[in-house]
Amino acid sequence: MVVAPIKSALRLTAMNDVAARLGLKLGMALADARAMHPRLDAVDADPLADRHFIESIADWCDRYTPLVGLQPPDGLILDISGCAHLFGGEAALVCDLVRRMQSHGFTVRAAVADTVGCAWGVARYGTQAAPLAPPPPERGRSPTPALSRDRRGVDRERPSPGAQERADLSLSGRGGVCGTSIASPLCEGSGDHQFIVPSGGAGAALAPLPVAALRLASDVVTLLGQVGLKRIADLLAVPRASLAARFGTELILRLDQALGVDEESITARRPPPCYVVEQRFADPIALERDVLGTIQRLGDRLKATLEQHGEGARLVEAVLFRADGKVVRLSAATSRAIRDAALVRRLFAERLAAIGEAHDPGFGFDLIRLAVIVAEPLDPVQTGFDESDHGQALSELIDRLGARLGFRCVLRIKPHDTHIPEFAAIEVEARRQWTDDRGRMTDDPLSSVVCPPSSALRPIKLFARPEPIEAVAEVPDGPPVRFRWRHVLHEVVVAEGPERLAMEWWRDETGTQLSRDYFRIESREGARFWVYREGLYERETAKPRWFLHGLFA
Amino acid sequence: MQASVAENMSALKRKIAAIEGRRPFEEACALRLGIKVVDATLGGGLARGALHELEPRGSIHCGAASGFALACAALAARHGDDVLWIETPFAVAETGKPYGLGLEAFGFSLARVLIVRVARSIDVLWVMEEALRCRGIAAVITQLTEIPDLTATRRLALAVRDGGGLGLLVRHRVSPHASAALTRWQIAAARSRSDAFGGLGRAAFDLTLTKNRHGPLGRWTILWDHHDRAFLDPALSFAVARAPCDRSDRALRRAG
Repeated sequence: MVVAPIKSALRLTAMNDVAARLGLKLGMALADARAMHPRLDAVDADPLADRHFIESIADWCDRYTPLVGLQPPDGLILDISGCAHLFGGEAALVCDLVRRMQSHGFTVRAAVADTVGCAWGVARYGTQAAPLAPPPPERGRSPTPALSRDRRGVDRERPSPGAQERADLSLSGRGGVCGTSIASPLCEGSGDHQFIVPSGGAGAALAPLPVAALRLASDVVTLLGQVGLKRIADLLAVPRASLAARFGTELILRLDQALGVDEESITARRPPPCYVVEQRFADPIALERDVLGTIQRLGDRLKATLEQHGEGARLVEAVLFRADGKVVRLSAATSRAIRDAALVRRLFAERLAAIGEAHDPGFGFDLIRLAVIVAEPLDPVQTGFDESDHGQALSELIDRLGARLGFRCVLRIKPHDTHIPEFAAIEVEARRQWTDDRGRMTDDPLSSVVCPPSSALRPIKLFARPEPIEAVAEVPDGPPVRFRWRHVLHEVVVAEGPERLAMEWWRDETGTQLSRDYFRIESREGARFWVYREGLYERETAKPRWFLHGLFA
Repeated sequence: MQASVAENMSALKRKIAAIEGRRPFEEACALRLGIKVVDATLGGGLARGALHELEPRGSIHCGAASGFALACAALAARHGDDVLWIETPFAVAETGKPYGLGLEAFGFSLARVLIVRVARSIDVLWVMEEALRCRGIAAVITQLTEIPDLTATRRLALAVRDGGGLGLLVRHRVSPHASAALTRWQIAAARSRSDAFGGLGRAAFDLTLTKNRHGPLGRWTILWDHHDRAFLDPALSFAVARAPCDRSDRALRRAG
């Protein structure tokens, strides 16, 4: 049993079947419940953990379809249009899903229907026996008195005959979750249900259900109950205009969505990939070598498809489904479109090496999927016999370095239009971006490089933070005669300067930035430095400070 | 007779190179520095497809060591290949970041510089190996914080032999450790000859070749002309450079 503070009291927000049979009700205060049954076991609700938990289940559901939407707090909706035949039909898909979820210890309510609304309602409120063979029950855990109960529903939808077929699985886990582990046990009482609403049968399936199955706010449900409209069939019998006038347009909208009159889209958690290939294993694999070998084989299959469409991959994702439900996602970006499976394999080898221990294979992976998230046209290129393409070798190197270290670490330098030395050169990612904000392809980051704004000599090394030095100058405005840097005294033999750089007033909001007088100096040893005096003597400050900013060759 | 001996010698050298599994050491493979006496000592120039170690004679000369590495890389990158600079947090704190405008002023094209920022020292060696093996990279410059052992440098040497670029290991101090590098240079900044206006002249390097597998050692002072991207012999430039009057480097070496 799960409790949470609602309306200044700890109230029950979820309970298991044992508790339900004792006559407890949701929303009841914990004190009242304890008065009835003193030995109740209760845990605090943890909405954040519930959220993570449902998201991990959603990740797991990616094995059925790339379009998985969340229905918080306890449901998932899956668009299975075009996917069902891969599993031998809708019934087989639902059977497989329910069986796998049960093996993890969940109670699942699944419904397949034409619309999201219908699937949602039938999964949660449907009572008729499922018209398909019940899955083999896998129970063997001992019943425990107080725990969470999870339910789940699968629904499918088909908006209109003839249109593109879509289907949704919605799964709902009602109630909080004890801890976040998938192994949270439950048993006792069969909450498991599977429904398949035949195409076009949404109205008939919904009619006997209570109005709450329409995803309405609780006060609307109460109002409807007060005027005697308890079932959806009752609602259908009433003229729409009067319903809208009395209960608002939301009721009409929900009704239309459930019946398929109105469109409703699923908000997918991830953008659907362009191309997907996958490999299932009867026996999970765990060795890195096997995983990479599988990725290469999948890459070969992708290559054929990409060649047919004249495209190459710019962003590839490998999804590893662990046998115990955890999902590991790895993505590898490239600087130019690629098709070669060996290259893909190398990129993922670097990714695996970079994350190191984080990809614990556990009991092994039972499904590996390779998907192209971003594709780009790639025309066949004629290559020579002898000369290898240096540009291609370089971009492959950038991809490998980026896969291992992250693209933020692989940089090119670009001049920037300012005369403040530390901002005059900025670092940009060396990888070519694939799209800009408006979704267009951007150019090479170096194509827009302008000439440096100043032709004055600059040091080859610059300190990110100028280092303070103690300097002695003959005259207050003059170059230093000697200075101490990192505890070593240097004597200046030649000095060039000053080069006066005032701070840019249009960026200096406080007006406290001081001008700098830069000197190029050479010490008696021959080493050359770039030093500056911060603040103009007597005009800006009485006591200027000296800094060392860079090293010359 | 003389000619046939030379032919025999080069044939033998090629044979030995084939047995040892390396390319024959030919002049075409070497990067000419443009100073006759230095190139002759090196057997044609700085060998491509090999590792070279650059050590500053003291911490004050770190800038000069980086400068010499950059100058060599600029020469190597003339044909349009890229130069990869590996940047470690230690090197950045010690000697600063490579500065774009300064590189441009030093005779480098910014479009040809690739910077890789690496935090872990194990990754430094990995990046260096990958980059050295890549054909599109003309030179790799690494500022090393830890001295890699013989095995690590041997690995790098094998990688650079495949790639044919220039591997430049810039250390931050003189080290007596053995390594698989082909040459080792001790570098100090030399006093420049002031220009006509009393300002700083061209960058000058005091080079000491302390290890050379294919020839004798030596010590030279050379200048870098950032405008023409070429090394100059101070003796042949418009005036003879003054010999360093005080040998502060010796005092430094004694001190530590």
